[in-house]
Amino acid sequence: MALTKEQLVTLYTNLVRTRAFDRLFVRRLSEGRLLGFFHPAEGGEAPGVGACSFLRKDDYMWPHIRGHGLPHMIGKGIDPKYYLAEHTGKETGFCRGMSTFHSIDTEHGLIGGAGTIGSGFPVTVGLGLAAKMNGRNQVVVCCFGDGTSNRGTFHECALMVNNWKLPVIFVCENNGLGMFVPVEESHPVEDIASLAQGYGMPAAVVDGQDVVAVAEAVMPAVERAREGKGPSMIECKCLRFCSHAVGVPDFRGGEIRSQEEIAAMRKRDPVRLCEEMLLKRGVIGKGDVERIAAEAEAEVADAEKFADGSPVLNPELLDQLLYS
Amino acid sequence: MSEKTYVQAMREALVEEMKRDDKVFLVGESVRGGSFGVTSGLFQQFGEDRVLDTPICETGVAGAGIGAALAGYRPVVDFMFADFMYVAGDEVFLKASQWHFLHGGKVNLPVVFLGAVGGGMMLCNEHSQVPSAPVLHAPGLKLVQPSTPYDAKGLLKSAVRDNNPVAFFYHKRLLGLKGEVPHGEYTVPLGKADVKKEGSHVTVIATSMMVHYALKAAAELAGKISVEVVDPRTLEPLDIETILNSVKKTGRVVIVDEDTERCGFAAELGFQIMERGFDLLDAPVKRVCAANYPIPGGYMEQHVLPSAEKVKAAVEAVMAR
Repeated sequence: MALTKEQLVTLYTNLVRTRAFDRLFVRRLSEGRLLGFFHPAEGGEAPGVGACSFLRKDDYMWPHIRGHGLPHMIGKGIDPKYYLAEHTGKETGFCRGMSTFHSIDTEHGLIGGAGTIGSGFPVTVGLGLAAKMNGRNQVVVCCFGDGTSNRGTFHECALMVNNWKLPVIFVCENNGLGMFVPVEESHPVEDIASLAQGYGMPAAVVDGQDVVAVAEAVMPAVERAREGKGPSMIECKCLRFCSHAVGVPDFRGGEIRSQEEIAAMRKRDPVRLCEEMLLKRGVIGKGDVERIAAEAEAEVADAEKFADGSPVLNPELLDQLLYS
Repeated sequence: MSEKTYVQAMREALVEEMKRDDKVFLVGESVRGGSFGVTSGLFQQFGEDRVLDTPICETGVAGAGIGAALAGYRPVVDFMFADFMYVAGDEVFLKASQWHFLHGGKVNLPVVFLGAVGGGMMLCNEHSQVPSAPVLHAPGLKLVQPSTPYDAKGLLKSAVRDNNPVAFFYHKRLLGLKGEVPHGEYTVPLGKADVKKEGSHVTVIATSMMVHYALKAAAELAGKISVEVVDPRTLEPLDIETILNSVKKTGRVVIVDEDTERCGFAAELGFQIMERGFDLLDAPVKRVCAANYPIPGGYMEQHVLPSAEKVKAAVEAVMAR
């Protein structure tokens, strides 16, 4: 599936914006101006952006924990200023500042994330079921990491969505580390996508550093789901430049990952790879690169102004929120 | 009015609500055949799009309810045994119950979790519990425990219509209980207790099957002690006013609950009575609950669970003070 120039620019722009917001969240957490904790996406932005940039507004999407879903939300067309507001505990956030990073924005199909890794799978069953019953050709994109795929909830979900041929696309973002545990110690075969065979769903493995490759793999799976042909699984082999979470040592197993290892990884930066390809193909010029970067920075500044200027929920309202 | 069994009354409630609202559907393992007969026959009436059999996937089944509820449906999730709800603890206790609140009131989760509860059948710990305490400990989740066919039908209809998640615990040993059920449409509101028997000496607050133990004890004590039996019917929301009004009259309280005693509903209710009705009490509140042991199978079960005799003894003890 060949992408149009416009689609390529969308992917690149969303990558740049994701990187800018990811860095903002890291910076603000370090400064004590973001609430909770943060698990950066840096290095692994392409799967979320590639999988979610060409969905319909009413499609459902469960984001992966990396970047606390920033790649997925930005891809899905959600204004990240509302997420920053949520993550800074402000009433203008998606959930009135109540959820930190467990956000739901039903208007844009954002459901989750959640604190218990792998709990997106059961909810995906219900979303897929509703999408099928609705008859509106919605799809559900369920994004998760290699570590998340370890949960038994994946098995239950994969069984049910395949039994019922629900419009679900599993996007596995395999960055090789489940927190500190190397994937080869938690998963006995090379490809997590090989799980798909056992459920009778098609699967593909793609270079998760290449946002275009991700989009080109996910888009046909989305079309397939929309046509009522059932679930698919796409595994994106990607990288993680940063430690598991801000303030947490960067272990692989029991050893700190070396600077050399990280430096080698950074040569496959998904933002730079996309930029180089688009420049080489003549899709964008140097001027576009500068403009897109400047716009992303301006968007970040506006988002900060919005979040910082927003009020905190009046705690007297808590009594009214327990039940509908 | 006509006489119906508890399970027939529940089934009628489901049929009526599924006819009334096409967003209502049933999902669970073996719901077409129907465990305990609650959902039997619904498949023939409503088809496989609304009566969905699943693999043995408690987290997936609970998630099917949660996701569909988020997307505008009104799922009734059948766990078969309420004990199996523990398998989907994350889904029930951390997601369904809490998401409306945690998302600033912007999403609703109108899902009913059906589960059969209760011991007395020597099924051992994983098919015998009344896991009320975990439900009550998850803010945002309502809890219904009907004791009669009339209440079972009226409360189940209210549970399906409620915009919040509701755990509906029906008692395995009440399934065949017969009682009067009106022909026409009616509901029983969540949060309204019912005085099952009036009395003046002691208030026995009992839930589910325990209501019948309390009534039996009351009948045996008739002429000596006048027992008032109050059935909260829903443990959350709890109609504490009706309970306190009864205590105002009697000054003595026994709470009977089949869940494990420690940190259970009886402990919570006893404390609420102490907080709000300390001056009404003429004697310390007594509890009759499952002992603080696992529920064993075999002949040892009866020594752990409450019984009508234990209720009677507790009433006599509280009167002797």
